Amino acid sequence: MSLTVVKGLQSEIFVPITPPPVWAPVTKPLNEMIIGLATAAGVHRKDDKKFNLAGDFGWRQVDSDSKPEDLMVSHGGYDNSDVNKDINCMFPYERLKELAAEGFIKGVATHNVGFMGGGGNIQKFTDETGPAIAKFFKEQGVDAVLMTAG
Amino acid sequence: MQRAIESIGIPTIIIAALPPVVRQAGTPRAVAPLVPMGANAGAPHDIEMQTAICRETLQQLEEIESPGKIVPLPYEYHAMI
Repeated sequence: MSLTVVKGLQSEIFVPITPPPVWAPVTKPLNEMIIGLATAAGVHRKDDKKFNLAGDFGWRQVDSDSKPEDLMVSHGGYDNSDVNKDINCMFPYERLKELAAEGFIKGVATHNVGFMGGGGNIQKFTDETGPAIAKFFKEQGVDAVLMTAG
Repeated sequence: MQRAIESIGIPTIIIAALPPVVRQAGTPRAVAPLVPMGANAGAPHDIEMQTAICRETLQQLEEIESPGKIVPLPYEYHAMI
């Protein structure tokens, strides 16, 4: 710009960069799809290891035949009161099983995933946890994944 | 996480309470009911709302045609905390 006195000035305001798009096309109708469920809400079995509330890049397997009373949440980043009353608030696996029973979807994945989002070691999440969970669903032959987070 | 699953060829959709956050994180597909963080799939024990949110979220899996789209869902829940 010809009127600029000092060239190369940059904004002092931090401007985050949105990553490039990712896209996996949907190739079959819902009633032929096995749906996996992954939540960042810190859902896990009560007899499983709790998440470290200060930040945890691990993940837990949560099976769809679990009883709601055998599941719990450990997450340091949001108000847990609703999800403590009803795990389906963040992990709506009972609703998905009902949708499968009525034929809206073909089925719910046998093994699903809980992890603790909202911070932690983002590098580990990106390089290790994310690909591990993706592989976990791929090996089960899951057709699509429903997530709750953010 | 959503991007990791999507990038190995499994389509995904996320139910977000904070749509600007998932937009910033580069979500491929998202829906946003009017819910607080912690009840993304609807109010506790409100089976009707939870079912509707899940059903319409899955429908958007088929309907969203381009990455980054966030579709509002017409369900509202205010947590009394």
